[in-house]
Amino acid sequence: MTIQTTLSGSFPKLPLTPGQSNVRVTRNRLDQGKATGRDLSEAIREATRRIIALQESAGIDIPVGGQVAWDDSQTFVARGIRGFEIAGLIRYLDTNTYYRQPEITGPISWTGPITAEDYRSAQEMAHRPVKAVLPGPYSLYRFSKDRHYREAAPALRALGEALALESGALEEAGAGWIHFEEPWLGRAAAADAPSIRAALEPLFHGRRARTTLHVPFRSPAAVFDTIRGLGWTALGLDLVESPEAWDLLPEVPKGRTVALGLIDARNTRLEDPARVAQAVDRARSIRPDLDWQLCPTASLEYLPVDRAAMKVARLAEAARLASRNGG
Amino acid sequence: MPRGLWTTTVGSFPKPPHLERARNQFARGEITAEALESLEREATADLIKKQEEIGLDILVDGELYRGDMTTFFAERMSGFEISNPVRSYGNRYYRKPIAVGPIRRNGPWTVDWWKFAQSRTKKPVKGMLTGPYTMMDWSFNEHYPTREAMAMDLADAIREEAIALAEAGAQYIQVDEPAVSVRPEELKLAIRALGRAVEGVKAKTITHICYGDFDVIYPAMLDLPVDMIDLEMANSRYDLLDRFRQHPFTKEIGYGVLDVHSHRIETRDEVKRGILRGLELLKPEQMYVDPDCGLKTRTVEEAMEKLAVMVAAVREVREERGITA
Repeated sequence: MTIQTTLSGSFPKLPLTPGQSNVRVTRNRLDQGKATGRDLSEAIREATRRIIALQESAGIDIPVGGQVAWDDSQTFVARGIRGFEIAGLIRYLDTNTYYRQPEITGPISWTGPITAEDYRSAQEMAHRPVKAVLPGPYSLYRFSKDRHYREAAPALRALGEALALESGALEEAGAGWIHFEEPWLGRAAAADAPSIRAALEPLFHGRRARTTLHVPFRSPAAVFDTIRGLGWTALGLDLVESPEAWDLLPEVPKGRTVALGLIDARNTRLEDPARVAQAVDRARSIRPDLDWQLCPTASLEYLPVDRAAMKVARLAEAARLASRNGG
Repeated sequence: MPRGLWTTTVGSFPKPPHLERARNQFARGEITAEALESLEREATADLIKKQEEIGLDILVDGELYRGDMTTFFAERMSGFEISNPVRSYGNRYYRKPIAVGPIRRNGPWTVDWWKFAQSRTKKPVKGMLTGPYTMMDWSFNEHYPTREAMAMDLADAIREEAIALAEAGAQYIQVDEPAVSVRPEELKLAIRALGRAVEGVKAKTITHICYGDFDVIYPAMLDLPVDMIDLEMANSRYDLLDRFRQHPFTKEIGYGVLDVHSHRIETRDEVKRGILRGLELLKPEQMYVDPDCGLKTRTVEEAMEKLAVMVAAVREVREERGITA
């Protein structure tokens, strides 16, 4: 059985080889008045092209565009939704990376596509279908400061609807697979379940594209009864930082896919592909009836680009070994 | 007459453009380490003078000779390698330490710089270190079996440096732990590691925490075994005061009144309002007024203007409330 490979979220933007087009340098030059907005757009396109090519040459089945234009994981999308303002820098959970905190200052509404154009551009550069990536509504809410609704339920409903409309725009742009990154589901309490359901249901309802609900860092055990009832195609789990997520496998509904996060996106130590393949075998022995993907635990942008590239290669090699093991 | 509202800064200052250029030239092998250090000393002496002119009470060396707050120390310990750049936000990158063997202090890291800075002023200069929990959490780990083992080895190494600073004469030693606010389940480990790092250190001890979710670690963070906790107040619009209302802040506080991530220069009135809000809940002798965090991301001019506004606001409050330094 073939194990599909994919990445979650963003990828380091710096080039692997000195002398290649460099988004960081171009941004600095733009700040100094030595480059134009067009130069930056071209550098972003070049970095996206490079990131997709790296994945395709490694043999990744479902590549991502790498979110090269995004400053962080939340604000690129939040800026495009009416009702948000963007405030000061705040640490992104325990990652020692930062984001500007979105503040909800008015009613949330989707006014037009935010990521569709970038998606189209990335897809044009790829030979394989590219996965679109969005922040999940529950996490976007938890990362934000709510100065308008002041209670979670109506804000989450509105955010879920806004991101569902954005997903529709991505489908219109050709996205056949949409990934929702939901780190806060691993920190949610059982009492949050009703509002999580209200936020997430619209994402999957009537969706033509296949969907991934990815929960990096921690196990979403506390709200798993709610999660399992939603209409996602694949559930992404971080099995390195939260080995207890293995316990969720017996509870995954039949006919679904689990994206096994077995490549550590937050440590430079390189995995042995044979050991990763053994872990995939273990998952298959627990649930022979499920479909499987292999992926990093989270965004590979927590790593320097050289290690991220090595991890992509090991991910692909581990999937090849696991596919062979599985006959 | 009550005393208090001493003014200070969190640690880092922006590097003047000529020093940034020199650091780049050094990285490209175009100037020697000695030439760079000479410029760093000159800039540090100038910064001490500027802090005195502004009227700050407790000074810092400005860390003009440092890059990242973890990498600087990791480069000086055995057991670490340094990674290629990793993005922290937007277009900001840093090189992250990788633990590849047992971590040890092989010699002083900052003592000479502290001595140099202190020799230029009669005002006290703080000794500035990065804490063991933060060093551990912000490094990759390819060596230690557990996070605790790595944090405690770091604590031993940092303690040696803190003792050396105190023996050199530092009255204030700040051991920054910005990472403690993000993994509440590890707060006890952070407390234990910081406790080891400052054990037997004969100086006023401070830790700085910033940009995290204080809802989950307050008031438990008051158990951090230091005399003073330095906090960002302005960045969160003084929301932390609501927590102090529910549970009194029992230590001395470094009270951040300047948003270090904004180019905007605060007005004297808004800084004053922030201080007065603090005085509703805190005693003046508890309060050390400073920016939210290190100023290194501002321009030199912005940093100096912000600090001048801060000192002017403190002077007005002191005068109105009859508080002396």
